[in-house]
Amino acid sequence: MAVFMQSLISGILIGGVYALIGIGLTLIFGVMRVINFAHGDILMVGMYLTYLAFTVLGIDPFVSVLITFPLMFLFGGFLQRVFINRVLKAVAQNQILLTIGLGLIMSNTVMLIFTSDYKLITTSYSSSTLKVGGGVSVSTPLLISFLITTAITAVLYWFLLKTDTGQAIRATAQDRDAAQLMGINVKRMSIIAFGLGSALAGTAGALISPTYYIFPQVGAVFTLKAFVITVLGGMGSVVGAMLGGILIGVTESLSAVYISSGWKDVVVFVLFLLVLLFKPSGLMGKSRT
Amino acid sequence: MPKTILKAAAGLIVLALLMAIPKYVESPYALHMMILLFLSVSMGQSWNILGGFAGQYSVGHAAYFGVGAYTTMMLMQAKQIPPWIGVWVGMVLVVAVALAIGSICFRLRGPYFVLASIAVAEILRLSAINLTTLTNGAEGILVTELPAFKIGERVVTDFSTKVPFYYIGLFLALLTIGITYSVQHSKLGYFFQAIREDQDAAHSLGISISLYKNIALGISAVLTSLAGAFYGIYVGFVDPPTVLGLDVSVQIMLICIIGGMGTLWGPVLGALVLVPMSEALRSNMVTDLLVRVGLVNADSKVGLFLKENLAHAHVLLYGILVVLVILFMPDGLMGFVKKLARRRKQEAV
Amino acid sequence: MRKHLLALGAILALSPCVMAQKIGVINSMSGPEAPIGENITNGIKLAEEDLKKKGFSLQLVWEDDTGKPQISMSAMEKLATRDNVVGVVGPYTSACSNAVARLAEKYRVPLLIPAAAKEEITRQGFKNVFRMNAPADKYASSLIDAATSLGKPKSIAFIYENTDFGTSTSNTAKDYVAKKGMQVVADVAYPKGSADYRSTLAQIKSKNPDLVFMVSYVADAILLMRQSREVGLQPQAFLGAGAGFTTAEFANERAVSENVISCTQWTEDVNWPGAKEFGKRYKARFGKEPSYHAACAYASMVIMAETARASGGDRAKTRDGLKAGKWNGVMGEVQFADYDGFNNQNNHQMLVEQIISGNYETILPSRFATKKAIYPFPRWK
Repeated sequence: MAVFMQSLISGILIGGVYALIGIGLTLIFGVMRVINFAHGDILMVGMYLTYLAFTVLGIDPFVSVLITFPLMFLFGGFLQRVFINRVLKAVAQNQILLTIGLGLIMSNTVMLIFTSDYKLITTSYSSSTLKVGGGVSVSTPLLISFLITTAITAVLYWFLLKTDTGQAIRATAQDRDAAQLMGINVKRMSIIAFGLGSALAGTAGALISPTYYIFPQVGAVFTLKAFVITVLGGMGSVVGAMLGGILIGVTESLSAVYISSGWKDVVVFVLFLLVLLFKPSGLMGKSRT
Repeated sequence: MPKTILKAAAGLIVLALLMAIPKYVESPYALHMMILLFLSVSMGQSWNILGGFAGQYSVGHAAYFGVGAYTTMMLMQAKQIPPWIGVWVGMVLVVAVALAIGSICFRLRGPYFVLASIAVAEILRLSAINLTTLTNGAEGILVTELPAFKIGERVVTDFSTKVPFYYIGLFLALLTIGITYSVQHSKLGYFFQAIREDQDAAHSLGISISLYKNIALGISAVLTSLAGAFYGIYVGFVDPPTVLGLDVSVQIMLICIIGGMGTLWGPVLGALVLVPMSEALRSNMVTDLLVRVGLVNADSKVGLFLKENLAHAHVLLYGILVVLVILFMPDGLMGFVKKLARRRKQEAV
Repeated sequence: MRKHLLALGAILALSPCVMAQKIGVINSMSGPEAPIGENITNGIKLAEEDLKKKGFSLQLVWEDDTGKPQISMSAMEKLATRDNVVGVVGPYTSACSNAVARLAEKYRVPLLIPAAAKEEITRQGFKNVFRMNAPADKYASSLIDAATSLGKPKSIAFIYENTDFGTSTSNTAKDYVAKKGMQVVADVAYPKGSADYRSTLAQIKSKNPDLVFMVSYVADAILLMRQSREVGLQPQAFLGAGAGFTTAEFANERAVSENVISCTQWTEDVNWPGAKEFGKRYKARFGKEPSYHAACAYASMVIMAETARASGGDRAKTRDGLKAGKWNGVMGEVQFADYDGFNNQNNHQMLVEQIISGNYETILPSRFATKKAIYPFPRWK
């Protein structure tokens, strides 16, 4: 029982961070219909920003979110403005290859600057825990990052639902052409959406930095995960991505124990295919033609 | 008419040259590069049939490449079955895999299809890591000795040099080009293109979408598995990341897209550019060349900097190239060449 | 482009033969293996500088294999047939070494592999393939022998990354503990780069093993130990095989790395000639701690260059020189011998170490010991 509870709790907490990555991707896909293969690499850039803030300026990783978020927003906006914008009307495989190419550029530039060494951020709380009882413990940094994730998601949800810009983004996601006819500056929305998506990925990078490690190729692990989460939740759905993230976190954690560590990613991919086949709109998505 | 004769004559001359190369070129390194080139041509061309003509952008072709490579290697290692027999088993298996994948992925369109194809390839890669009794897991399969190829009692080759591999590679490249040509000039090609251009319209014309998608996938998968099997026996070693990784899938589609999809010569052009380029970048030949030409002094700061960093930066340059091609030659090199030719014609008029 | 390359090849072939000894280096300088590959690069660079100081006219031809076997084969083809090197040092990974070994034998180019773990590489009867480091089986036997000499462990749990290195080391370890009559209570191969091992570790904890045997690179090593502490995994000893547990970064994580037992091919403190000095100079030159890979690579390059010069740049003579020679340097005594089915394998002495007060201390074999071992593992604070 203790093993089950331990797995469940750490699954949920890790899932929170996955959710943030998924939400970023889902926003980008929702607004632009571009599958961003560089999403993990954007997260990686966020991790290195956090690392720089920690080692050079001595800023705590959780506090550094305040710097990482706006910087990554600008970075994402720049990527969209200069590169992605040019292929919005292009065929899907060109969009994919473009983002793959951008990802390669990011990871290899970072490699030239920082070398390919693994970097760790060791804080005073890196391996501290809260004992819950029954032999179950909760990692303090994971818990903090989960709480921050929840807060960010709530704010984002409010932003999309209640503000003018948020509504314009949603309108663009629903029907780009109609939105344009309604006088929405679609180009600007795209830049904002890509900026936000990147900022969220960068923030996720910052949040896992204290409990994970940083290296130039770290993105690949997360890119695939982000796809699975996004599809699971329904492409374009923020709440769906949140649920999808937690679901994937828990699935990984439980199947590592009850099936095997080696097969846990297979379980995730099979789940992914099943959702694609039987509910292609995802758990929270509205069915689309 | 004279134009087609001219074309045929040019083709025959190129073919004759290619056939003659091993007779005159002794450098195994040069032959090795040619073999890699042939391998890339056949990989790109196989993807072309599904991605370029039928418009189904699979990012999971590593699945077929890996199944072809693994089956041949596994049979050779465990049962001492020579590769020219094992490759047939691989083809049968890969058709089965392709049909299974097709039945899942072809229900999906656009980005969903792309993601599903990645997922299936990843499942195969992870299975190869975990089914250790079958595949030897992450340690991979190493086969050091190839049995001699005999017809009757006569030994045709014992694979001790690169020459037999050169001809197998050449044959494979010609085979894929030939099959692409015949697909392109048949009803099949017409159906594929109809599906690519507008699936719903094709359906309303009475074209069985799922049948023709599966045919395209089948041809593409079998050819990719042949390339995989050839890779396996040539390198003598397979492990999950090198034949089943996402990198492999991307590499396969890159050859075709950089060259120009949906054209007969696109993948050939793509391979002709990518293979020598990545080798030149990787092995620091660019710096060597600059030094030899006298542009850069080997011991100067610039020379040392280039030597240190250019080899490290080759993937970076690769990424930049991909971005540039996609942005400025969205139809690949082939499209770019055609555009230039058209412009010149217009100017001539 | 092709023509260009051919032309370039012609120029290189025609250039006058200088007296410099041309030695090839194949290494993973980019790609996923690059973090470790960098140690090898640095070790070789240091060797090159030292040899040049000694008046060697040495020309190194560097090849990056990006961690992929087919590319390391391209590199070997090029080195053997176009650059005409006397010998080759490298590659790093087992997969690449395996592929390259075959070509080395074919072209009769002496190949000295500095740090690949897979046993089979030097078990194929190749005459031109030499290896500096001890293969994977040594990790397992030295660590488990250490544990059985310190206490009476009865059960063991395995957790290792599902790569070539991880699985092959653990497999030999499993065979070895079976002979010792120990019970394997958990056997977990994890995919490299997972963010969360807590559930797996909690499961291992529930089996209450006496020993926990881990094979990981540095990042996962730290993560595994952090999370072991989180879930309160408490064996008699944590045994860390492989590179991750013997790095300075790992030792610096004092909260979790203290008292972990590991084994390594090389350490700065060992009394092998020049080891301490090598460590110091390496740190001064590259600003980081040398790993055993760096020392293996350094020693390999020195031996290869010396032998190549003594043989006047002749491949066959270099091979015979490697086979017949005996050296004593930063890697201790080196001799390429045939034993237990191995050919041209340096029967290297592994060192068992424990982190005590944040420093690596050699605890076994006793003639190299610097401190007495702490056993069993103290309770987590």
